[in-house]
Amino acid sequence: MRLIALLLAAFFFVVGILYGLGKISFLTESGAGHAHHITHLVVAWALALLCLIWARFQSAPR
Amino acid sequence: MTFAQALVLALLQGVSELFPISSLGHTILIPAALQWHNINRASPSFLAFVVVLHLGTAVALILFYRAEWYAIVRALFASIVRGRLGDDPDERIGWRLVVGTIPVGILGIIFEVPVRRLFGSPAPAAAFLIINGLVMFAGEALRRRQHRTAERKSKPIEELSYPASILVGVAQSFALLPGISRSGISMVAGLLCDLDHEHAARFSFLLATPVILAAGLLETPKLFAPEAHLVLIEAIVGGIAAGIAAYCSVAFLTRYFRSNDLRPFGWYCVVVGTIFFALARRGVIT
Repeated sequence: MRLIALLLAAFFFVVGILYGLGKISFLTESGAGHAHHITHLVVAWALALLCLIWARFQSAPR
Repeated sequence: MTFAQALVLALLQGVSELFPISSLGHTILIPAALQWHNINRASPSFLAFVVVLHLGTAVALILFYRAEWYAIVRALFASIVRGRLGDDPDERIGWRLVVGTIPVGILGIIFEVPVRRLFGSPAPAAAFLIINGLVMFAGEALRRRQHRTAERKSKPIEELSYPASILVGVAQSFALLPGISRSGISMVAGLLCDLDHEHAARFSFLLATPVILAAGLLETPKLFAPEAHLVLIEAIVGGIAAGIAAYCSVAFLTRYFRSNDLRPFGWYCVVVGTIFFALARRGVIT
């Protein structure tokens, strides 16, 4: 489970960067400015952070 | 937008964001009913103004629940450092808020733009306002039935299960539809998951805080867009007015739900929604 959590965190982190750079525009408003991509970046990184916390909960001593 | 219009919209936002009557629906219906044709809801300056109103509302909610938020955030950090879940009530509430917020973030990103395009006019907003009222009636009726036929007891927020927290979060996502109230729909979901009215309202307001704050903060760049000719004095007064209205609203509602239910708001939504829907169908408001 810890590995899955870390892989998901890495995935969301990369997706966030791609949104931030404007390389992907999936689920963004057509013709939108940079702000809408930043929203997606923040949400993707928030999910990455949650996955890291999930990994932390998997690895702590019981 | 005149100063008076800005003030009315700010007070409307502050009150209707927390009362279960849909702020989005009211900010579509009221300007349309008052024939405020000078307000373009899609213009950068109006969007920037709305950002300030959201920030004012979020600050009011944080101030009202400042002691709770301090305890919750502290407990969450302690839990992360420890690396395991504990039995501290603040920590349990915190993780339920985190879990409940995830669906709003994901579904908001997926559906916000198409929903705004499809339903951002008075007729759909009025129709959804009627549905919002009916949902509150149905929620109250189902809850009464649940607690009459089975030996189910109300429980506090910290005893809510994680799937139930996700359910409340998913329910809150329906507030993307103009006319569906964030606090109303999440309270109904909370009631059906065995929270009582007081705890359902508290969970709903706590759950709304990060969402409203994020909505404000993420849209902050719109304040500085070159085409956003934001009149500073209107924005500042609007933000403060929205904040004061939101603070008074949450103070009133937390007392109200100690001994009352959602039905009066259900009646309001059905009646007002029906009137506005009829006006929109006749072309009186556009």
